[in-house]
Amino acid sequence: MGIKVLVANRGEIACRILRACNEAGHPTVAVCAPNDIGTLFTEMADEVVPLEGETIGETYLNQDQIIQAALSTGATAIHPGFGFLSERADFARAVKSAGLVWIGPSAEAIEKMGDKMTARQTMRAAGVPVIPGEEVEEEDEVAALEALREASTRVGYPLLLKASSGGGGKGMRAVHDPAGFDQAATGARREAVAAFGDGRIYIERLLSGSKHIEIQVLADTHGRTIHLGERECSVQRRHQKVFEEAPGPTMEPGLREAMGQAAVAAAEAVDYVGAGTVEFLLAPSGEFFFLEMNTRIQVEHPVTELVTGVDIVREQLRIANGEPMSCGPLMIRGHAIEVRLYAEDAANGFLPSIGPLSMFRPPEGPGIRLDTGVREGDEVTPNYDPMLAKLIVWAPSRDEALQKMRRALDEFVVLGTTTNIEFLRDLCDAGPVVDGSTTTTTIDDLWPNGWNPPAAPMLEEASLLAAASAETLGLHRRTTAGSSEGSTGPASPFTTIQRRFP
Amino acid sequence: MQHTFASKDGPLEVTLARNGEAYVLEGHELILHNRGRLHVRLRDGRQCLAHAAKVGDVWWIHLDGRTYRWERIEPGSSNADDEGGLVAPMPGKVLEVLVSEGDTVEAGTPLMVLEAMKMEHRIVASDDGTVTSIHFAAGDQVAQGAVLLELE
Repeated sequence: MGIKVLVANRGEIACRILRACNEAGHPTVAVCAPNDIGTLFTEMADEVVPLEGETIGETYLNQDQIIQAALSTGATAIHPGFGFLSERADFARAVKSAGLVWIGPSAEAIEKMGDKMTARQTMRAAGVPVIPGEEVEEEDEVAALEALREASTRVGYPLLLKASSGGGGKGMRAVHDPAGFDQAATGARREAVAAFGDGRIYIERLLSGSKHIEIQVLADTHGRTIHLGERECSVQRRHQKVFEEAPGPTMEPGLREAMGQAAVAAAEAVDYVGAGTVEFLLAPSGEFFFLEMNTRIQVEHPVTELVTGVDIVREQLRIANGEPMSCGPLMIRGHAIEVRLYAEDAANGFLPSIGPLSMFRPPEGPGIRLDTGVREGDEVTPNYDPMLAKLIVWAPSRDEALQKMRRALDEFVVLGTTTNIEFLRDLCDAGPVVDGSTTTTTIDDLWPNGWNPPAAPMLEEASLLAAASAETLGLHRRTTAGSSEGSTGPASPFTTIQRRFP
Repeated sequence: MQHTFASKDGPLEVTLARNGEAYVLEGHELILHNRGRLHVRLRDGRQCLAHAAKVGDVWWIHLDGRTYRWERIEPGSSNADDEGGLVAPMPGKVLEVLVSEGDTVEAGTPLMVLEAMKMEHRIVASDDGTVTSIHFAAGDQVAQGAVLLELE
């Protein structure tokens, strides 16, 4: 007797969860918006329920429709993945009151951590250090701006404005002097209202030169809360992570234990159940400060899986099923690195790009893992987040992991849509990445005027030769660009062998 | 075997030579292998595999970890320049128009704020000039490539 799981998500993370369910023997249901019909994740589920509506609000954020889909298919549990409804306490509550299992922490825990201002207060009370700053509860636009302006003089510059309901860099602004404050605060509020329907903003001192270190925690319903060590995710562009690794390149066992214990204390303070991540800033002084807790599975969870040997999604399912988690004592082995492949133009301010995936050939070989929700022939549209895939490598040492990542990125062929692959490849050669001294401002420090691909005149000439030759040869007429059915797979004996069996 | 491709310095004429099976350009050689794989030998002796795909008029070429795009100009077609028009880099919604028609702006002046994929993007003046027309207002949806406003 196990759960039947509805995955209330799409793309890469839906694939990840559906695969884990398939392995564990749990029947699965996918839900999908009209513009997602036929995409990879819908093919991995036992059943697919089409959602009605056009906008995200009408589909993946439509709680009633999703709960109805679960009830009508006999699903007994809902896994929210990340983003969308994953950190919505009202949804967690609605799922439970519909008699379904919520694969995640309690609505109360989500509320306490999800509202970033409440989380800071809860952590202070639990003795977990938080970043110096001030919360402003004012809802009215004019009054809030006034209160924020006053608070800014007490917090001091440079500072960060953050949305209380925020995440993913939305509604966040760095302000370096008072002159830019009003414009930044207005922009942050507007983005926060648009993305979360909540314009409340708080201020934190901007701790430059810090590392972003986060601790993975797991808690089951049998009274056990553990941590799985750290991930370093300092390398960010526009406050979104692009390069993540485990273990942290500068981490010492003593500091790991101290941060791990703080993370476990944070989780226990809200009676946490399931998988979660406690994010910290590690200042150059060696002090660490609570940033926020993500009460869900996280994009970069694979690096922890590769170095600890724990299948975090599988543990989530186990915990939701009421079983104790299966993890033994923490063991960290080797080094793992993840990069996020985005459909974006890194040479043009990381602007999202769209187009067909006319060719999509991921690298292969030992120590390489690809988590993706797309395949060759798919179309990248502006409807959803532009992340195409996560490329994760594991090797016995950090140096070897970097070497493997360079090789893997060189092999990765994506044609038809601009991606950040060359940027990620260049990043693997950057000084702070090579020596592990990355901080949250590394990308801006390395390329203050924006990134451009290093010049390679010989390759550029040869690419022109390839384009002209391909045109002359009529390659575009030989194979259907943008189709996965072409002659790319191994030849089938049923179509090539003209043989009849008696 | 002559082709014309667009480049930032204007149209680029490419004439391929033959050397047995191989196509030759500036000392680099290319041979077609089966299933559309292109084998390239660079002038300096390095060898690599190229992958090619055509989308519209653009050849996308992957070579040794790099991706290049070459837009082919069909013989006889005229490539109209976007004369001072500022186009939407992606589909999205206009959040704010920061200038009015007749305003004099300097290169780098923010003109419009677009929202796409839940992020804000600023459209800035590419050159000094005067705003001659504004085609969208706050709240409007714009398609990728739509001319947002014009500068002179």
